[in-house]
Amino acid sequence: MAGALTERDFVTKLERAGFAQVEILERTPMGIDDCALYPLFTPDVLDLMRTLIPPERQQTIGTAIVLRAHLDDHGAR
Amino acid sequence: MTDTSVARDLMRSAETKQIVRSAYAAVDASSEKVARKLYSPEELARLPQSAIEGALGVGNHLRHAQIDAGETLLDLGCGAGIDTILAAQHTGPTGHVIALDFLPEMLERTKKAAAEAGLTNVDPLEGDIEAIPLADNTVDHVISNGVINLAPRKARVLAECARVLRPGGKLTVADLTVADEELPPEILTHPATWAG
Repeated sequence: MAGALTERDFVTKLERAGFAQVEILERTPMGIDDCALYPLFTPDVLDLMRTLIPPERQQTIGTAIVLRAHLDDHGAR
Repeated sequence: MTDTSVARDLMRSAETKQIVRSAYAAVDASSEKVARKLYSPEELARLPQSAIEGALGVGNHLRHAQIDAGETLLDLGCGAGIDTILAAQHTGPTGHVIALDFLPEMLERTKKAAAEAGLTNVDPLEGDIEAIPLADNTVDHVISNGVINLAPRKARVLAECARVLRPGGKLTVADLTVADEELPPEILTHPATWAG
């Protein structure tokens, strides 16, 4: 999560890499309770999140997106 | 960018990769709840339990992937193999899925899960997503689930995807994004949030 991009930056990097027709097909908010499903989030970091992140942001600390793109041609790179 | 700042960035990049590597290698708890949240009962019924228990993705991109029979797919950061197996079922015996991961432990899990699922069209491949060990123009479709956000050099990862894809190739990805407003620094600097 700490290394995640904004959706806008993600799409920009895709286009710079030569991808076109980038479609965002799903956006699902991820909150602290969603993070808790993953064993990678340790109890101490979940506690830290619940303490430091304002309550109004705790249900959406990130957004899981599904996207599809096509590589138009190799000249685009 | 100065030589010093380049060196510092590379050091951070190596450090981040090590954090991710250690965290994923240490996962010993089941993440079945993740699988039950993301995949349909019909999809879960086609999967070995080991793949279900190792689900660490953030979405179900395969619902939108439009996989054709006979395609060569690359699963970027295959983990325990849940998406590799579902994709291999879609592409059928005339196609195959290259399951790429930098952790031999994960590749072993994927290999076993594919065998349990009765699949012979899965090829595990050890490697770094920033330097994919495949030739240019060899893949029809790249899929990835919750992995690109872990890479220190994301532009490099996407350039590598473009390099290995054939012209007109597809990329279908689920990944985590964040808002412009940053999380508190205590959270952003915690190793668990670089791996999770």
